[in-house]
Parts: sequence; C-alpha cells; structure tokens
Amino acid sequence: MASTSKAISNLAHQQGQTCIAFSRDGKIAYTGGLDTLVRIWHTNQGEDQEPEAAYEADEGITAVAAAEGCWLSGGHDSDVRKYLPGKAQFDGLVTSAAGASIRCLAVDPSGKRVAVASDELSVKIVDLDEITNVVVLEGGHKKRIRKTTWHPSGTILTTSSSDGTIVAWNISDTEAKVENVIDGVIPEVVDPESPEFMHDCSAVWHPSGQYFFAASRTHEIVAISRSTWTKTSSLSDPNIVGATTALVLSANGLYLASACKQEILVWSVQTKRVLWRHPGTPNAFTIQIAFSPTENLLAWTDTEGVLSRWRDAIPAGSPDPVRQTAASGAQGTTTKRKPTPPLWGEEPDADAEGVDQYGDDWIIDDLGDGMEDEPEGAKATRAGDGFVKEMVSITKAQPAFQPGSTPMENKKRYLAYNMVGAIDVTDQDTHHIVNVEFHDRSTRKGYHFTDHFKYDLGSLGERGALFACPPELDHPAHVIYKPYGTWSTQGDWTYVLPNGQRVLGLAAGGEKPMRSLRDPSSSGGDIQGQGNIVIATSSGDLTFLSGSGMERIVIGVEGEYVTMAAAEEYVLVVHRPGATTIDGSQSLVATLISFEDFQVLQEKPLPIPKGHTLRWIGTTEEGAPAIYDSAGYIHLMIHHRRPNRAAWARLMDTNLLERKQGKDESYWPVGLSQDTFMCLILKGRQEHPGFPRPLIQELPVRLPFRNQDPVDSLIEERIARERIHVNLARDALGDELTSPDIDKREVELDKQLIKLIQASCKADKAPRVIELVKRLHFTNSIAAASQLAGFYRLIGLQEKIEAIKLWRENNATPAEEAREGRRGFTYEDAPLVRPKPFQNFNPPPKVDRPGLARSTGIAEQTEFTASSVAIRAGRSRAPQASDSRSTSPEGKRKRGDNDDDLSSNAFDVETKRQAVGESDAVVPSPKPSAYIVIQSVRA
Amino acid sequence: MALPQSLRTSVTPLELELIASEHLIEIVPLITMEKTAFISGAYGPLRPPAKCRIPLWMATNLKLKKKCHIVPPEWLSVDFLQEQLTRETSRPEFSRLPFRFAEIAKVILDVASDDVQNADKIKSLLKDLREARQAKSRDGLQKLDHSELSLPNLCSMEINEIRPFFIQSMGILTQLVREPSAE
Repeated sequence: MASTSKAISNLAHQQGQTCIAFSRDGKIAYTGGLDTLVRIWHTNQGEDQEPEAAYEADEGITAVAAAEGCWLSGGHDSDVRKYLPGKAQFDGLVTSAAGASIRCLAVDPSGKRVAVASDELSVKIVDLDEITNVVVLEGGHKKRIRKTTWHPSGTILTTSSSDGTIVAWNISDTEAKVENVIDGVIPEVVDPESPEFMHDCSAVWHPSGQYFFAASRTHEIVAISRSTWTKTSSLSDPNIVGATTALVLSANGLYLASACKQEILVWSVQTKRVLWRHPGTPNAFTIQIAFSPTENLLAWTDTEGVLSRWRDAIPAGSPDPVRQTAASGAQGTTTKRKPTPPLWGEEPDADAEGVDQYGDDWIIDDLGDGMEDEPEGAKATRAGDGFVKEMVSITKAQPAFQPGSTPMENKKRYLAYNMVGAIDVTDQDTHHIVNVEFHDRSTRKGYHFTDHFKYDLGSLGERGALFACPPELDHPAHVIYKPYGTWSTQGDWTYVLPNGQRVLGLAAGGEKPMRSLRDPSSSGGDIQGQGNIVIATSSGDLTFLSGSGMERIVIGVEGEYVTMAAAEEYVLVVHRPGATTIDGSQSLVATLISFEDFQVLQEKPLPIPKGHTLRWIGTTEEGAPAIYDSAGYIHLMIHHRRPNRAAWARLMDTNLLERKQGKDESYWPVGLSQDTFMCLILKGRQEHPGFPRPLIQELPVRLPFRNQDPVDSLIEERIARERIHVNLARDALGDELTSPDIDKREVELDKQLIKLIQASCKADKAPRVIELVKRLHFTNSIAAASQLAGFYRLIGLQEKIEAIKLWRENNATPAEEAREGRRGFTYEDAPLVRPKPFQNFNPPPKVDRPGLARSTGIAEQTEFTASSVAIRAGRSRAPQASDSRSTSPEGKRKRGDNDDDLSSNAFDVETKRQAVGESDAVVPSPKPSAYIVIQSVRA
Repeated sequence: MALPQSLRTSVTPLELELIASEHLIEIVPLITMEKTAFISGAYGPLRPPAKCRIPLWMATNLKLKKKCHIVPPEWLSVDFLQEQLTRETSRPEFSRLPFRFAEIAKVILDVASDDVQNADKIKSLLKDLREARQAKSRDGLQKLDHSELSLPNLCSMEINEIRPFFIQSMGILTQLVREPSAE
C-alpha cells in the first residue's frame, strides 16, 4: 500500500510541539517549535537547504499561519507576531493574549482576518490591515480553546475546546453568534501538558463547505454536515487503530491526509478508504500535516521536531489533489466550475442570467451531501485567491450519468430503476449490500448480495443485471454481469479493465423474455441468449460484449460520453461531440447503434432547450428511444428505424399536466409506454426518490397541442398520438403489408376520424371533411363517411368523397405505400459502392412500381398453364428479394423470416408437385413405346 | 331455509362482502398474465409495473398469494376520512361515501393492510365514522312514517343494519295509518 515516492526529512526544531503552515502560493513552508524559532523552508529546495529563522519569540512557538501579504506566528509568550512574506523580517505585533498561551491561528479564506485561539475562553478575530479592528467571540466555551478553523465561505468559524465541544460561530453579520454546539465528537483533554493535548482536534472543512471532518474520540474520522450539524459518515479502516493525531484535506477536497501511530495515511474522501500510506518518524507522533495549496506536496511535523516533505504524495494517474479534473467529475465528485464573473462591472447581462438560472439543481452527483456548489461568497474570494481556477467554463458540462440512478443519501441509493425492476444499494461502511428487485416476480427472481467492491454503476436489462466498480488500489475497475434465470452464480462473468481505466457507463440490452426465465423447457428460459452488453470506458470507447462475455467490438466515441440505454436491438448512446456552447446548450447528440452489425441507425442532436440538461433516457415499451430533460419535456424518436430519417417528437410537456397546476412537484421518469408515462412523483424540491421504494405513478401521455376545443382537439390529439405509434409499429413490419394488431388499431383510428368527420359535416366545413376523409385507412370507412355526408344532405361533398374512394380503390393503399417507402429506405442506403458513371455495365436498377405490377393471382388451375410460368418464376423470386432487403434491425424481423420460409416452403411443395406432374406427363411417353417394343417382340 | 326468523329478513354482512367483491379496484401486479376471461368478464392483461383494474375478489386472491400490491382507493386515506368524519359530526346529513365503502375497506384492510398507509389510523377513523353514522341512522328512524323515509347517502351496510326493524315498523305504521282512511 505504501507509495513509491519517499519523503525527505529535515531536523527543524527541538523535541516537543511543532507546527507547520504553507504560504498562500505554496512556495514556502513555515515551521515553528518549542525552540522559539520559526524556520522558513523553500519547498522547491531539497534536504540540504539552510532555512532562514525568525528569532523574535521569547517562548516556544505553537502556531504559524500564512495570510495575504504576511505570515504570523504565536506561542507561549502570548504574542501574535506579523512578518513580511517569505522573510524572517518582523513587521509588528498583531495582538496579545494577556499572559495566556496562543493555541491556534487561523487565517480566513480571503487572507485578511486571523482568528486567534488562546488559553483565554474567547476567540479574537483580528483584521490584519487594521489591527485595532477586533471582534471577540465570547460565551461559547467553558474550557480553553485548542483549535479554530474557518468555513470556506468565511462566514462560519468553528472552535474546538478542551472540554470536547466544537462550537460553530456564525459571523456573517456584525454580531457574532453561536450557531451550534456539537458535543461528544472530539475527545476531552483537560491537561495542556499531556501528549493528547497536542493531537489535532480541529474541524477540517471540506472546500465545498457542506461538511467538515474531525477526529473523534472513538478513533474514527467523522464527517459532520453543515446543514444538520450531525454525523453523516465516517472514515475508518479495520487495520488502523489508535488516535488520529493530525488531519488535513487537499485543496480540492478529493483527499484527506491523517496521521495515526507514526504513519501518514491518505484517504479518498469519496470511497472513504485508505489509498496510500507513508511511515512517519519512529517514536514520534505527527502533530500537524499540511497539503500544499498549489502542488502535489504533503508536509508534516512531529514531536521529534522533524519536518518531512512528501513530494508526489498522490501518484501520477490518480486525480490531482489541487485541480478539479474531469476524471473526478466523472467519478461522481463535484465539479465546482464557477461561471466566469461578468466581464463588465456589476451588471449581469442577459446571457449570464440565462446560464445561472438552473443553479445547482441539475448536477447528478453520486456522493450525496457536499456536492452542491459553493455559496456565492466563497466563489469570489477563492477566485481572486490564486487557488483553483477554471479558465473557460461558460456552460457547465453535464457529467456522465446512468439513467435511473440516484446519489447516495442516508447511506442508500438506487443504481438503476427502470421498467424491469430496481437495484438499490445500502452502504455498510466497509461493504455494500446490493438488492435487486423486479416488478414482475413471476419472470425473474429478486436477490441480494454483499458487495466488497462498492459497485457504483448498475444496469438492469431484460436478460441480466450489470454492475461496475471503480478502480481501487488493490484491484482495477471491473464489470460483472449476472444473467437471470440461473440458480447458481455459474452464469456470472467478470470483465476486468486495465489499470488506469474506469467505467463511465453501462447498458445491458436484450430481448424481452416471452416466458419465465426459470422455465426449464427447451422453448423458454435462456434459449434467446443472455442479451448484449455495452460498456463505456474512460479511454473514450464503447465496448460491446455478448451476453456470455465475448468481446465483439470496440467503437470509439466522438467527444465525451454522457449516458446510454439499451433496447432489444440497439443501444442509444448520448455523447457530446464538441463542447457546450456559450449560450447554455449542452450540445448532446444521440446515436443509435444496432447490436446486430453495429450500424449507426441514427445520429441526432438532442432537442434540449438552452440552459437545460438531460435527465433520463430510455426506450418505450414498443422499443422507441425517448428522453426527458430538466425542462420537463418528453421527446420520442419517431421513424427511428428509417436510416437517418428520425425526428424527435415532443410527446409530452409535464409542465402542462393538470395535476401539476398549483403544486410544486417534479417527475422522475421510470418508463414510457404508448399511453402512459410511468414516473415517480417527487414533492417539492426533492431531487431523487428516496426509500422505501415509492409506487410508480401512471400519467396519461398528451401531445402538447395548443387547440383548446373541448371535443375535437381531444380526438385530434388522440389520433395524432395513435398515428405515431401505428407508424412505429408499421416500420417494424419489414416486408409485410400489415399485421392484425395494426389493422385493429387503424380501425379504431378510423372510428375516431369518422367522429370528427361527423362533427365537421354538422358544422358544414367541407375542406376539413375532405382532409379527414383522405386520412381514413380503409375504403369501408370512406364509404361510411360518404353516407354521413349524404345524411347531412351535403351532396357535393358526398360526390367528392366518392371520387376519393374511387381514386383510393384504383391506387395503392396507404399500407402498400408505406411498404414501398420501407423498401425505398433500404435501397437508398444500399448503393454506397456505386460504380463510376460510364463504367457501369450492369443492367439499370429495377424500379418497383406496384401500381404497374402484374396482378399475382392465386389460381390453382393456372399453375400448369404455359402463361403462368412467368408468374411462378416471379413468385419464387419474391422471397429471395425480400431477404436481401431485410436490413431492418429489429427483432420482429424474425417472424417475417419465418413467414417467408413458410411461403417458400409452400412454393417448394408446389414445385415438387409440379415435378411429379411433369414426370407423369413426360415418363409415359417413352413407356408406351417400350411396351410396344416388347409387345412387338412377343408378337 | 333453516335460518332463524331474525336473520331471514336481511342479508348477512358476509354476503354483502361477497357482493362488494365484484367492485373493480386498482392493483400493481407482480406477475405477468394475459387477458383472461372469467364469468364476470375479462380482466387483464397484467403487465408489471403497470397498474391494472380487476375485481376485488381477484385482487384478494392474488394478494394472498403475494402476487400483487393493492392500491388503496382514493377515499381510503387518512386525509379523506378525517375530512368526512368532521363533516359527519358537524352536519346533520350523511356525508358522501362510496356505497359499499364499509365492505371494501374491511376486505382491503384485512388482506392488504401493508399496502395501506397508516392502516391503524384508518381503522380507527372508520370505526368513528361508523359510530357517527349509526347514531344518525337511529335518529333517522324516529322520522319514519308510513310512506317514506329519506336518508340520502346511506350506505349498503347501514341500510342492511336497519332493514329488519325498518320493514316491520313500516308495515305496522302502514296498517295503523290505513285503517282510518279505509273508513
């Protein structure tokens, strides 16, 4: 576990209490000790440097701190001294504590004020520019104060007392007041001479300002929430026992360094595990640790008076301790990118407002608390401070997410929640419990297991559940697939990623099981395979695997991966090929890739309004891609089976829902079917569903049509919606003309249309009637419409309808036209390798004109006539032709194939019969002659 | 029938429950089932997690086999019942409740109390409602005359309760009133 890089040490002070602080630019480290000296170390120099020293103190130094434009020291002589930056040049006294030892100095995030804790029962906040400007915080403590720290916003000061209490002071107003007293967390140490008194008991604030860490009396490191002031989680390791003697967070809050029993430990704040260790000085314990604010450098001082500097404490390959990196964002930590301040003065221009308006409620974070942006106050101070800056980030880029997952809240989260079921995870500190539940308990059986890898991504497919874990020190990232329907774990397989790569997203697709997966019969269960797996990795690719773990292909992703969802026969991948735009658009693109042959079926930008983000993607029950965004729109990809002809149809605007009016609620999508939007309803400002699992609510899907006619507009909307779904179903047909289901739905549609026609006839709107009549699907319906017109004595109209009917009878039906259209798409797509002009010696392409085609009679009696030869040949060709056209990717094609096979079998039978007939016809002719010969011989 | 006279005049609560079992109710199925024809009609298909409306008897049956969750009707909630109870106690007339609310509520609370939020609270509210309404129907009986008794929003179980007394007294009243007019 020990890191490869070694620390360099210098003997700096005499034995006893020591302290350390980095300058604001990270170039200098100040250390103080009982020998009354403060030494000034240049961090870029090695072990052999001769540090400058400040000799002004009369007694031992107990605290040093660096502020803007000066550095400070304080000690047992009760004076706080100010020095020029980087030099040992005394610049004056700041304050004095009237004979009491100074215990701690804390400079606020802006570097202008210092909080001085001493053996007095009060804390002084001194303005460094104007040292007469002093605020005294009194009345919070009954025992001496040991440590004090600032909240990153500079409005809260936390003080730790020797009686074991932590007091949070609110100093945002001129009047400081006690906001909360936290008792029972830090240990109580009364004797200032005991070694325990030197242990670090400070509240170390996370840069997000949402929580702080403190070393507890139970030898854990606990995180305490800013909002509730209660413990939210703890860092502990079974191998580490003993008190934590020092504690510090890295500049970006990703890592936490602690000292325990002559060992320095670096923890990951996200996973709450020890990542690296480094041995400290033997027989001494470390009193203070510091992360360099600008470099990958960790330094500490101990009771032996030794200063140790550990360069590259965070090994290369892991997220940097200073910068906010994209990797840390993908991992689920906060990406605290702040919008750049307006360039011209205070006036916020319109665009900046537009970007800001969606605030922080869109971040899909995996860690739960502490993931919100910093308060406004901190932004300004930090940006001007030379700390972490983001150069260009005008629109926050939406991080990668799994549809249907939630962040960890109260130690529980959902990894996936869709129409198949839900995966929920319970955090047990050292391990997770993963619980997989299904909506349909007859087809699949729920289960749960103990997870030592802390899977943070999950996908619940039709054929199996997929999990992925992030890489940790002792194991690389891996993906595990657990197909359903097997009693044992034999079917499980693991796919391990190389070191340094991580999984960004997962999708498990597969055909919907027709019957129980546990069905042992040959036709049921797992004969349909175990589905298809897609893994998006941090190396910018999509890896396709088969359900049994066979690698099929690795496809590169253009730009950043955002999310994906798998359907039966394709995977819908959302990625960002370029960057976000200045005016607030996420510029996301959806790509549909088929599992069959990895064809890109569609590539279509997402219709998300500016300033909004993608919330959910998925597929409908019928298999069409759908998305939901933070603006509350549901879009459905229509014509997704037609190559490059898809469009995003706005299926629903949840802001217009009747139940939403006057209520503050939002919708968390789970699934979408033809007429219902399945979602969980979140009350108020709730962002994610909680536990226990709420019931799925069904909301009716309504196209956002704007006509408000009470009768007609309802029917029109229903017709238009039904039309979308009939078209989708028809696109799935392939070479078939129609299916009983579609026929039934079209009859229903015609009934609705007839209602509209009747209303229009009544209102005498002839043009509308004609338009509606043209939309009817069956000639019978047109006849009915004509009768209606007759009933209302609209003779002229009736004649026109009759004309339409006649025209319809003579021409191809809409169903046939649609089939022609489907054929056309495959034609258009096919000639990618077209020969050059004038070098094409092939016959001209066949133009299919069903209107001109000869009628294909089914006449048994014509089978043997000479005139039917052409027809027979044509019919036996037909199935082959249809096979060559079958590039349509959907699973329903199979039925079409079977039908074709049946029909070709039928033709085989016919040809066989024909052959028999022919042999009957041909063979007898020689026979009689043979007989004749024999007979003639006998004769 | 070998039943005693007192019972022969009215149906038993159990029989009323049976009648109420034909009432359609929403469930969240946990199993898949095609549309299936029963004597009373065709129900289904069940497609989890979509909700489905099936008769109460079927829902009870599935629930007992742990094959569905019953979605309690809107009126079977603490808020609604509390409001009805205040109305019941503050106004003279009966409040509007589903005709067979008592039977349906009993069946649901018996078999699926885990699907109902605050089942205990609802039980006590239903009991209070019943007592309040019983008092009213007793009062109402005092207004009984030979030709009519108007008690709007009286529910099946309550009608059944007053039926034996009501029929007999109505008969007697009719006799009492008729005699003078016959003369």
